[in-house]
Parts: sequence; structure tokens; C-alpha cells
Amino acid sequence: MKAKNLFPKTYNLTIGWLYPELMSTYGDRGNIIVLQKRCEWRNINVRIEKISPDTEYQILDTCDLFFMGGAQDTQQEIVNHDLFGKKGSALKKKIEQGTPGLFICGAYQFLGKYYKTADGKILEGLKIFPSYTENPGENVNRLIGNIIIEPNSSTYNLKPKTYIVGFENHGGRTYLEDKSMTFATVKKGSGNNGKDKTEGIMYKNSIGTYLHGPILPKNPEIADWLIEKAVEVKYGEKIELEPLDDSLEQKAKDVVVKRNS
Amino acid sequence: MHIPIALGKAITKVSQTFNLGSGSTWPGEIALSLDANFLNNLSKKNPHLKIVLVAGTNGKTTTTKLTQEVLERQNYRVFRNEAGANLINGIASSFVYRADIFGKISYDVALFEIDENSLPRILEHITPFAIILLNLFRDQLDRYGEVNTIAEKWQEALKKLPKETLLVTNGDDPMLRFIGEKSNLHVSYFGIDEKLMDKKNAPHDVDFLYCPKCKTKLEFIKRSYSHMGIYKCPKCGFRHAKTSTFNSLPNPMFGLYNKYNINAASLLLQNGFGVNLKTIELGITNFDPAFGRQERIIYKGKNIFLLLSKNPASFNQSIQAIIEQDKNPNVLLLLNDRIPDGRDVSWIWDVEFEELKNAYYVTISGDRAYDMGVRIKYCDIPDSKFQIHDILTEAIIVAASRLETDQTLYILATYSAMLDVRKILKGRKIL
Repeated sequence: MKAKNLFPKTYNLTIGWLYPELMSTYGDRGNIIVLQKRCEWRNINVRIEKISPDTEYQILDTCDLFFMGGAQDTQQEIVNHDLFGKKGSALKKKIEQGTPGLFICGAYQFLGKYYKTADGKILEGLKIFPSYTENPGENVNRLIGNIIIEPNSSTYNLKPKTYIVGFENHGGRTYLEDKSMTFATVKKGSGNNGKDKTEGIMYKNSIGTYLHGPILPKNPEIADWLIEKAVEVKYGEKIELEPLDDSLEQKAKDVVVKRNS
Repeated sequence: MHIPIALGKAITKVSQTFNLGSGSTWPGEIALSLDANFLNNLSKKNPHLKIVLVAGTNGKTTTTKLTQEVLERQNYRVFRNEAGANLINGIASSFVYRADIFGKISYDVALFEIDENSLPRILEHITPFAIILLNLFRDQLDRYGEVNTIAEKWQEALKKLPKETLLVTNGDDPMLRFIGEKSNLHVSYFGIDEKLMDKKNAPHDVDFLYCPKCKTKLEFIKRSYSHMGIYKCPKCGFRHAKTSTFNSLPNPMFGLYNKYNINAASLLLQNGFGVNLKTIELGITNFDPAFGRQERIIYKGKNIFLLLSKNPASFNQSIQAIIEQDKNPNVLLLLNDRIPDGRDVSWIWDVEFEELKNAYYVTISGDRAYDMGVRIKYCDIPDSKFQIHDILTEAIIVAASRLETDQTLYILATYSAMLDVRKILKGRKIL
């Protein structure tokens, strides 16, 4: 599976995995495995920095790419508490500087301005993403099912007609203050709120999305885009990763697309 | 005459005559629609009947079946609900079958396995003699929701029961220990011996690492599997319960998970029915696992070992069990995403498939075979060591043809895939 190292020098990347024990309920760990392997297969040195409530905030400054998954409510409470403070500010600074990141479901919601709970309580967010989330109440259905989206081509380099597939499962409805920041357009499924066909957000080089599945194994082009961005921001050089044989990933994606169209 | 039962029985007869499916849920559905208090009324009519409910993510079928076998050795007349019919309509159907048309039930014990989400609703209709809560793991989040929510619902539902109700639960599981501690019922805890545990880092399929009382990170002195082990909270003092571990009893099945099932059943048999250890041991030694749960099948002269593997904890335990048997196992992985399997297949990334890196060969099939293929690829298992087949029969034949004499094919399958593969291997449908 190894590709030749065509780079003139060795790149070293540190992936900051935010709260692996607390925010990783829906197999979201798969995203880390995919990022790690796709770096290794290109001879990019990669180190996973697990960030937990015990981690010092300065560690975030050493990370070149962030990942944070979804969580259950109790776990999310512990994380919210930990991120309000120096760690949250450190994360905001990095994202504003262009460090790429992938934030799934609960993490995506929490990076926005606020989350209004089913009983109307307002929970402050980290106010990094210009978005907000509202839960319409206990008796309104959660948005659950396979989802197919088409990325907003202006945001990054994907082949035309590339679909992204995943599985969504969320009660909150997210709204973007500026719809041009949408990560992708919904082809099948609900996306941000089930109404305006937007899915996720693309803010600087960070992606917020509802896609579990997990997202990266069946959509490796996004993994590669994140890796390229991480190298670009860290080393100030644009690189193009050696292509890998992704035929299996493509077939897994085709199964979802075929069944839902 | 008891109208709901008479009608339910008539429906069953019709559905059997015209082969309209097993009819395991709708006789109960009809009985409940005629009389919303059907279950309540029927249990009042049969005060001699001891009802035992078994709930938990994994191990319900094995635990109930084992309990039944031991009780029958003691000459109790016992019935269970049909496999899979573990919602309220399935329980009601089971009563329809077993009662006579006057509503009299001539059995001593009813053993019901109960769906996690249905337990609170069923407790509104039935006052059991005993409840076993086995474990609680992440499972089919699209259907069941989050494990914390289930735990909260269980805790609420138990509050309404009379104090003398027996609660048999897992002291090695922090959340169930917490539920036991909070309840006013007659609680006893099972667990496994410390010697079967070791000290390792938290695996990835854990759900409860933080203190259920004060949300501080728990200290684990030893672990058995997933989030179970011997633990204490460094802040509030919440700790592991003293458990019954039945060290003298054999485990003819494989894996720690079955030791838990055996110990849960044994504790109930001891505390609830006064069965002695000798009789329990005899029952366990002669135990024949339920279909698809560590079931040995001979197919065209080849040895097949079928293990239902339906969520991260269950899959991880199956993998451990087969590696104990064979360091280089020949494996067939079957992944479906139908309703009983859960439609979201994300969970396969919470399973340690990396443990299969020394597998002799990995064959893959099922509705979502390619998702499983990608998972295996990212374990750095080379292309030459795994293959995907769209057609299940073909996958079985090819995988079995790779077997040397005396080798076993280990099939790890999600629920609906297990039923499918069993149909092919046994040539008929057995439920």
C-alpha cells in the first residue's frame, strides 16, 4: 500500500485528537485511523496527540491538524467545561490562523455560537464558526439516515461530481449566518437543518459536518485535502500527495449512492 | 372464556395454517389492543407464576436459555419468549401461547428477554419476581439512542417496583453498579474473578469511564473487557461492588462475556430459586448454546463456528474468543445494515479488527461488505489476505474451500446476516 516518497524532504505532522475518550461515540475514531495511515503510506511522519481534560493548553499550539468527534450528552458536558477557558482560546487561535480541522456532529455544534436545547435552554458555544444550533423539542424527530452530499466546489479541489456519503443522526438543527460558507449541498438526506439543503460549514481550513459513517474512510479525498492543507500551513509549501489505490473506498461509496438514488 | 387469548390463539392458528410467518408478535399485539391491561390482568390471574426479566445489550438469549435449562433440571415448568420477540407485543404473544382459553397458565416460571428500550414500558405492565441487568454498551445508536439515556430510564423504571423484587446486576460495570446502589430493591451483584482480568489501558469501545456520581475519571485497578473491571472514583469514593464470581463453575463456551452470562444466571438461580452449585454446574456442562451464539455447524464436511457479533463490545469479544482458539484463524466477516443490525455501520471503526492481523485469511460479505473491506484494509492487512464477495453463498463456499483438514471457519456475523448464513448452512430456517 506504500506510495513512493516523492517529496524532497520529510514532513512531520502532529494530529491533535480532541477528547478521544469522551468525544468518540459513533466510530469517529475511523477518521483518525484514515488520516494516520494515509500519511504513513506517503512517508509523512505522523504523531497523534491525544488531548484530554488533563492536557495543558499549550499542547494545542504544537498541532498541525485537529479532529474532534461526536459525543453523548454527559460526556459532552465534561468537554464543554474543559474547553471554556484557555484550551478553547488556543483552539480558536489555531483555527483562525488556518490550521485545518475536522469537527463532527456534537463538536461541529459546539464550535458555533450557541446550542438551544430541547427545553429551550441556551448553551454557549465556542463562537468559532458563524453558525448556531437549535433543537426543536423532544417531540420533533431526530434527523437519522444515510446522507449524500455534493461538496461546494469553490471551497476545495475535488473532481466534479464527487459525492460525499455518510450517516447522520442528530436532533439539533444548525443554521449558517452566511450560506456561502456551506461545506456541501444535500442531495439525499437532511444536512444542517433539513430545510435549506446546506450541509456543514467550511470555515478557513476547518470543516464542521454532521457526517458520521465515519466520513473519511469512504471519502478519502477529504482526508487527503486535510493532509495537504496541514503541510501547506505548517511548511508554507503547496504539495500534491501521491495518489493511492482507492478502488475499495469508491465501491463502498457507490453502494450507498446506488441504494439511495 | 378469555376473549383476547381466544382471539390471539385463533390468529396464531390461522397464521400457522397459511404460513404467514412465525406469528410471534401479532397475537400479542391483538391481545393488547383488546385489553390494554392484558399483561397485568393475566399476571394477577396467575399469582403462582414467577416472572423473570433479563435486559442488557449482550448475552440476553444465552443467559435466559441457561437459566431455563437449570430450572428444568429442578423440575420447574418454564417458558421463554421467542428469540427476537423482546418488545411488549412479543411478551404478550408469549402469554397468549402459554395460557389456556380461560387465562390460566400452568407454568411455574416465565423467563423473558427484554429489549433495552422496552424495559420501562414492560415494567408498567408486569411486576416481575426478579430482574437481571447484564450490561450496557453502545449499540445501534440510530435505534436505541445513547447508553446514558437508557441507563437513566432504567433507573427511573426500577423506582416503581416493590422492595422485595430481586435485582441481579453486574458489579464490574460502573453504570449498573450505580443503578444497583441507587435502587431500593433486593440487589445482588455478579462479576468475574480478578484473576481473569488484567491491567491494561482503556480499550476504545468503552462507554463509562467517568464516575456516574461526580463525573471524575474513574481509576481502574483491573479491567475485564470494554468498560468493565475493578474501579474506584478518586474523588467521591464510588467503587466496584463486591461480586459473586463463581470460580468453581466451568465455562464450556468461549470468552469472558460468557463467563458473565453464566455468573448472572447462577446468581439468580442461587438467590431466587435456591438451586445448589452442583445442579448449576450440571446444567452448564450440558448446555447447548442458542442458535448462532458460538454454534458449531458441519457444512459439506467442514467445521464451521458461528458467532453472532452485533456491536463493538460483542465483536471485540468474538475476536478475542476465536484468537484464543486459533492464532491464525480463517475468518468470514458478514456485515449487514438492515433494521435488526442497525442502519448505521460506523460502529465497525470502534472494533479492534487490527487483532486479526495474523489471520490465515479474511473473507468478507454482506450488504455492506465494502465498508468492512475498507476497515480491514486500514488494519494494514495486505490485499493478498482478504477478499470481498457480493454473494453470500459464494463467500461461504470460497471461504470453506480455503480450509485445511481440521481447520475451522469462524463466521462473525451481524444479526440478520447470522440468520441468512444459518439458512444456507443448515438448509432450513430454524428460529
